[in-house]
Amino acid sequence: MSGPIFSGNLQQTTNYRVVLPFYIYGAVSFLIACVLLLFNTDLVHLHYYSPHTLAIVHTMALAWGTMIILGASHQLLPVLIEGKLDNDNIAYATFAFTAIGIPVLIVGFFNFNYNLLEIGATLVNAGVLLYLINVFRSSFKSNTRGVHAWYMMTASIWLFSTTFFGLLLVFNFSYPLLPEGSVHYLSIHAHLGIIGWFLMLVIGVGTRLIPMFFISKYTNEKVLWVIYWLINSSLISFILIRLLNSDTIAYYFPLILALSGVVLFVRHIIKAHAVRIRRKVDEQMKTSIISVFQMLLPIVALLIALLFLPIDRNANLGLIYGFCVFFGWITAIILGMTFKTLPFIVWNREYHKKARSGKTPAPKELFNEKAYNTMLILYLAGFVTFIVALSIKNSLTAQIATVALLIAACLYVYNVGLTIFHKAN
Amino acid sequence: MSVVCVMTNDSDRCDFALVGLYEVYDPEVGLNVVDLGLIYQLDFDEDAKKVHCLMTLTTQFCPMGDQITGDVTASLTEAFPDWQIAVELTFEPAWDYTKISDVGREFLGQ
Repeated sequence: MSGPIFSGNLQQTTNYRVVLPFYIYGAVSFLIACVLLLFNTDLVHLHYYSPHTLAIVHTMALAWGTMIILGASHQLLPVLIEGKLDNDNIAYATFAFTAIGIPVLIVGFFNFNYNLLEIGATLVNAGVLLYLINVFRSSFKSNTRGVHAWYMMTASIWLFSTTFFGLLLVFNFSYPLLPEGSVHYLSIHAHLGIIGWFLMLVIGVGTRLIPMFFISKYTNEKVLWVIYWLINSSLISFILIRLLNSDTIAYYFPLILALSGVVLFVRHIIKAHAVRIRRKVDEQMKTSIISVFQMLLPIVALLIALLFLPIDRNANLGLIYGFCVFFGWITAIILGMTFKTLPFIVWNREYHKKARSGKTPAPKELFNEKAYNTMLILYLAGFVTFIVALSIKNSLTAQIATVALLIAACLYVYNVGLTIFHKAN
Repeated sequence: MSVVCVMTNDSDRCDFALVGLYEVYDPEVGLNVVDLGLIYQLDFDEDAKKVHCLMTLTTQFCPMGDQITGDVTASLTEAFPDWQIAVELTFEPAWDYTKISDVGREFLGQ
């Protein structure tokens, strides 16, 4: 008798060696961002265009948000594009360039050193360009390109647009490449990243994974395409309006498009939740649901700014808007989804070749659930308190909020470490 | 309503195989592969001493796919040590929630 025969098309998952460095890098960066915030709480009194604020924003956007999402997207690429990651070596190169470029860029912002900014931005662009190439090569090698694959590809184009435009802005400090100063284009650069990269990818991944984890009957591809076009139209119209220096009233148009897209996304998740087969929703999924609702906060902040505030008071609301984006829904979805993806990657690494060789722990047993719950409470308390601090411009309240966020970050790093360094007995 | 429904040409041997397969779990859901509806067909060729298992996964891109199919193979090998085990993975028809048994639904809180 010969050994067992296996036949069928089982898609290979991405190698854990590609993914884990991004998670480790992102987790440590979240901690660093909270430490930076703790020592710079006087930013509640400042304009958002200040060196330390820019350094913290880029730590949150690139070192934390983008690095974790790059790691997760390499892992989830097969699920989204229904094919395999084209090239592991390109993924390693993406990590190498971004991992070196991001701290150089952040230090450049902190000290406003043009040379460091230029070197850092160039390295980040090299890494992101390689990521874009890898996503497109993987997607076009796959036989089918569904709506989720288009979300992924479009998000990666917007990511490269964000970093390339950032590169232009950095060089524009030293050489007059653009008609206006770099500050003039800051909102375009920010929204390319927030709407084009983060929102597109989170919606694309979220509409695939959240119903999957719920074991939900709900699916509606038509709505996903409507959301896709609403978000892209919102971003493109915003860029045009900003470049044409149109009146304030024109900004309602992209805002309403983005709001419609987010509301439809929230509706999609609520519907998936309502008809789920798996009734018990774990804490990680609850965190993800909270993040979906948090998406509405920055849009509300923008609406308040447009409707009620004179232009000279918009800077403070700009800080609240940015905080709601980076410390709000982007952080919340990462906090939740890390522990829905990372334990599986490590579980596969440790128990892959141990089929039925004894009792194996469930993936969710690889991290400390109590530490996770405490992290979630502290994160939410810190998040709400910091918004209060920004609203009343009070540094002490901001410090109290940041201590809560910092402890939450420590617990997050602890759980990530516990998971990554888990070894099978 | 849905009960465990595995097509077979030998119900006695199928029942014996299922005893082991009830111990094979989808690590994410925490439910066994039989109640989850992943096992479509179990056929037994007495002359060739061969077990053919036609099964699926909740998605073709299931990150635990290797593990689950490996566990199914190991379980069948344990139940039929002198037989050749052939596990065939299919996605036609694709798995959906209707394939979960009543016991499975109860486990999931329905």
